[in-house]
Amino acid sequence: MASTTIGGTVTDTSSSRPFREEIDEHKGHPGIRATTFNYARINDDMVEMLEKPHPSYFLLVLGFLSALLLGAVSLAIQVDVGIGNSGISHPIAWGFYITDFVFWIGIGHAGTLISAVFYLTRAPWRTAIYRSAEAMTVFAVMTAGLFPLLHTGRPWLAYWLIPYPNERYLWVNFKSPLAWDVFAVTTYMSVSIMFFLLGLVPDMAIMRDEAKRRGKMLQAKIYAIFAMSWRGTNHQWVHFMRGYLIFAALATPLVFSVHSIVSWDFAMASIPGWHTTIFAPYFVAGAIFSGLAMVMTVLIPVRVVFRLEDYISYHVVNKVCQVILFTSMIVGYAYATEFFIAWYSGSPYERAVFYFRPFGHMATWSLTGDQPVSFPLLAFYLMVFCNVIAPIPLWRKKVRNNLVAVWIICGLINVGMWFERFNIVGSSLQRDFHPYNWGEYWPTLVEVGITIGSFGFFFTLFSLFVKALPPMAIMELKEAAEPPMRKGHHEH
Amino acid sequence: MSTKFSGVWGTFEYLDDTTEAIEELRKKGIEPTVLSPCPRHEIDHALGEPQSPVPFISLFFGALGCLIGYSLPAWTASDWVLPVGGKPIVAIAPFTIIGFEMTILHAAIFTLLGLTILIIFDSLKNPIPKAAREYLRFQRDRFGIVVRCEASQYALYEDLLKKYQAEEVYVEKG
Repeated sequence: MASTTIGGTVTDTSSSRPFREEIDEHKGHPGIRATTFNYARINDDMVEMLEKPHPSYFLLVLGFLSALLLGAVSLAIQVDVGIGNSGISHPIAWGFYITDFVFWIGIGHAGTLISAVFYLTRAPWRTAIYRSAEAMTVFAVMTAGLFPLLHTGRPWLAYWLIPYPNERYLWVNFKSPLAWDVFAVTTYMSVSIMFFLLGLVPDMAIMRDEAKRRGKMLQAKIYAIFAMSWRGTNHQWVHFMRGYLIFAALATPLVFSVHSIVSWDFAMASIPGWHTTIFAPYFVAGAIFSGLAMVMTVLIPVRVVFRLEDYISYHVVNKVCQVILFTSMIVGYAYATEFFIAWYSGSPYERAVFYFRPFGHMATWSLTGDQPVSFPLLAFYLMVFCNVIAPIPLWRKKVRNNLVAVWIICGLINVGMWFERFNIVGSSLQRDFHPYNWGEYWPTLVEVGITIGSFGFFFTLFSLFVKALPPMAIMELKEAAEPPMRKGHHEH
Repeated sequence: MSTKFSGVWGTFEYLDDTTEAIEELRKKGIEPTVLSPCPRHEIDHALGEPQSPVPFISLFFGALGCLIGYSLPAWTASDWVLPVGGKPIVAIAPFTIIGFEMTILHAAIFTLLGLTILIIFDSLKNPIPKAAREYLRFQRDRFGIVVRCEASQYALYEDLLKKYQAEEVYVEKG
């Protein structure tokens, strides 16, 4: 605490200072006030978050459950009637479902990026947000995983995607990007879940003992199952920390590989607009971009509702916004490069697709009958506006320090990234090499319902998570905090 | 966990008291078990930088996964020959993706299993008394030191822990 003497009276001046200056740079991490708290306070704050929720929480969950129910009913209709009930047809074999799949896989990138990549690079601001981002990854990948199964039209035969011994000695084609995708997504999901659960173990032990301290024995028993007899001995910590580091090292190439492999689902095909080497970095940058935007979309309300200003500080929001801004520029550059390469390649088919995308020659749908509006055309302009133009205000620190502005921009980015996926999936299939092979696509209500349901599924799981498990890594917050020292400050 | 624990354990409020007590115990040839609410590098330094064999487990099973990742597609491609796009039947480049994924998957699964087994093994090898296991503040804000010793050494280590400002010291007469 800073203090000054005015007329013989000691006055605390810290409250009038800007946020960053309140932090003692020698204690905790600069910009995250919570790292100046003592261990007990961090425990208490986290336990308080898991107390009985406000009635409005149940209302919110009910809203998400309604969306989920809509999705479930739509899914039942889709499975019962068959894939013909969707707008998918020749030549547009991939519509909303693959768009949703690519979108949700992208959302799932932020968690591992924050928990693994920023762990290896020792970015201190990740500490307060990585647990929630990691949970988001798990839920997003679970959501994404449903779509390829659904898209097959016969999800009960999904096991055909896995190489298993059978009487006809038929195996999956390992030269197909779709088989690569099965391996990439299942590996990513498995590693994300294991990484998430591993990080939770010490925190579950904390919650177990805090529940016991508060006389909540049933809660303590439930937490004890996940704590797996964790006591925090040096023998446990040494193996845990080494294992955690290895998980981070394994997850880092995985996070870059999985969306590269998803991009090759497209890039390996010879369709104009898809067959390009830029797709892997373009998809990965887009995934990080959309994932971080989703992190902010969910964490800003969490920060406000749970009053977590000391944990998810402006410093943290600023850092995330800076990464969003950086990836926005990569995405914008990739959009420009696509157009340049289409022109420079000299291929008339590439040029045609990239001419069709912005100039609406693919007009497929009419609002009034005489003013055709193309769904892919709408997707293109929304994509450019939301992903390239909307993030520009984040260059200003004033905007980055305005939570409402950040939340709106991040919401727009989520919309823009969904439409970017649709733009890639839909428009190239609509217009390939020969006009005889051109077609139109318009989603059915069932597809829209399942898409809404996927958001319901994701947000329901996330809402349950923030009230059932500690949404911040207590152990890492303590590790970042100033340890109790009898002989003064600790040197980092 | 063994119920026949014989030794002394104490709780500490401050990290520097804890590390100094650990260092003195180690000078006397004792390898104590230390409990802490979070990992602290100061404790690792005091304990002489203990190492974990987990990386070797990851390396071995990662390499095994890599082998499986390449050999499964190679074997299945040879088992049922399916020429695709004029490419070789056993094509290394596309199989590298499966090889990579299997490397990561096997390394991750066996890292998790390996560290779990190592933790169980070390906990059995270095038991702590039931009272220390049930002391609720080790997960909150206190550090702990557990010394396994004979009855004749109780007083010696009890005094040592108290010398370094242990808040509470308990003797467990196995």
